[in-house]
Amino acid sequence: MAVTTQFLTGVRDILKRLDGEALRDWLKVEPPLPQEYYSLASELKSSYQDDSALEKLVEKSLPEEDDVPEGQGTTWPGFISFIKDYFLYWRDVEFDDLLGAHQLLTALTNSCATALNNPTYGTIMLQSSISLCASLSTLSMTLNKRPDLTRKLAAIHAGDEERKSVIEITAEIMQKFFTTCLTDRSSPRFAQPTGKKVGIYVFANKTLKLLTMNSKSYLAAQLLTNIMAKSPPLSYYPAAQRVTFLYFLGRFHFNHNHFWRAAQCFQEAYSQTPPRFLKHRRIILTYLIPSNFILGRLPSQALLQRPEAQSMAQCYSQLSLAIRKGDYVLYQHTIKQHEGWLRSKGFPLFTTLQWRIRPLLWRSLSRRTFLLTYTPPDDDSRKAAVLKLADLYTTMSYVQKRLEGYLPAQLVPKGRQSSVNSYLLKAVSNSASAGTADSTIAPPPGGPKHLAPDEGLLSGNTAVDDHVVENIVASLIGQDLLHGYIAHSQGAFAIMGTKQKGSAVAAGWPTVSDVIDQRSVESVVPGWVKDE
Amino acid sequence: MAAPTNKTGDKPAAEASKEQSQQPQTQQKPATALEEDDEFEDFPVEDWPAEETEAAATAVAGGTGTTTQHLWEESWDDDDTSDDFSAQLREELKKVEASKRR
Repeated sequence: MAVTTQFLTGVRDILKRLDGEALRDWLKVEPPLPQEYYSLASELKSSYQDDSALEKLVEKSLPEEDDVPEGQGTTWPGFISFIKDYFLYWRDVEFDDLLGAHQLLTALTNSCATALNNPTYGTIMLQSSISLCASLSTLSMTLNKRPDLTRKLAAIHAGDEERKSVIEITAEIMQKFFTTCLTDRSSPRFAQPTGKKVGIYVFANKTLKLLTMNSKSYLAAQLLTNIMAKSPPLSYYPAAQRVTFLYFLGRFHFNHNHFWRAAQCFQEAYSQTPPRFLKHRRIILTYLIPSNFILGRLPSQALLQRPEAQSMAQCYSQLSLAIRKGDYVLYQHTIKQHEGWLRSKGFPLFTTLQWRIRPLLWRSLSRRTFLLTYTPPDDDSRKAAVLKLADLYTTMSYVQKRLEGYLPAQLVPKGRQSSVNSYLLKAVSNSASAGTADSTIAPPPGGPKHLAPDEGLLSGNTAVDDHVVENIVASLIGQDLLHGYIAHSQGAFAIMGTKQKGSAVAAGWPTVSDVIDQRSVESVVPGWVKDE
Repeated sequence: MAAPTNKTGDKPAAEASKEQSQQPQTQQKPATALEEDDEFEDFPVEDWPAEETEAAATAVAGGTGTTTQHLWEESWDDDDTSDDFSAQLREELKKVEASKRR
């Protein structure tokens, strides 16, 4: 009995001093542990199998005092049941039984949330809450990687109306702490936060991390709405919390295709992280660069040569080169080459790079085709400069065929080429310009490659035709990525504003980042509270 | 019962030094081997002075972003048509054009 009562005397003393940090250090829940905790556990096992006896002991040892002097604290009902749950945890926990430990820790953390809620003394629970939530969050992540155990957990909750994963349940508990901190009234909104308000971003970050790491960031929408409605500005919080929050807010917006918002968050997180935190900077940069790709900003050599960019430099510099040139073949080749790495960064990153960059590649390919085909008139003609759609058809078909494995004629093995039946050549190609008579490339031996939907210029083996070319040009004009109109009578894209811009190519293909900024820039990034 | 010591602080510092010491050795390895653990971990320290960051340097430069501007290229259009890809397209355009005239 000695250890248990001694423990409670210690708790009472800490409460009196209102020392939240000491309380956190006192209420350990996981190894490494001093011997005293093992003694506590064995004493609870041997003497307190009866829950009500345990409850009585706690109530007796932690009496609620009436006249508490200023600057001191006492116990409250929520705290008493928390300490009781803490003892139940130590009495019953077996660290080898992950599922059992998780259930006990979940109950204890829930009880802690209730204790934190107390308007008078709850604040003393803040540090303990942070520490408990960290332990629960780690344990939940571990458990989530064990389907054999989560299946058992699902069976326990089989009767529940809504079946939730261990991650969702844990995230909901974290949000209870978050809400308590957010609704604390100890300081005004636009002032240095005090009391529980100090914890807002600690719990927001824990929730966002759990949800993001488990592909459920969409569940964070309510939390972000609440932050926008009530939180003090992010700038009042310590740098580590600011950067972590902005990183996960960036991931949230990226996953929801808000790339301008995502880029703002990642850029700020990146520039607020000192170079010594190399790993953090690397992870932020992994998402910042693709966000900026979509906004028409390419990473410079200076950026790609930084130590934190080392693991991504090859992939992202090749993608940049492909975007500059409109070289869809290089682009697809790079994606394939780095597919494992890209997929490991999450499905949204991979699909974004696969699909969302296409308009920029089409734009650059049309620009390249224009550079290769247009000759300015000798006289001072008033005729608009044009890109012939037939020429764009030629280059787009060429790219599609290269993707299907067609080889430049001189690379096709001679012996084989002559052995391929010329009718077969015609038959295996969908295109009107099949064969080598009117093209520099020839089908690969064995016929064109079967392409998955994301591997083709449009979708899989879908052939390029006049209709497609016109559609793409019209879509680029619609997005302001091309400046001009389609002149049907000439079968051409006619450029507007050559005189003002000084050259047809500058007029017809405006700077991408300018165009995208014009339609994307917002005054507020949802979730990011700035100064009043 | 002895007052327990603060359990936070040890692990992240150890990991940070581990990461730094690994850096030179892993330089030659392929990209995927570098990043076994991609978790955005808690920072080993809670706060740091703004002077340590690029954000501060940018603010000193008048908030115009001049110190970080060189990291991104906004005018990247490439007018050089002497590369392989352009050469292939040029040949293809020529051949298709010639076949139409026949």
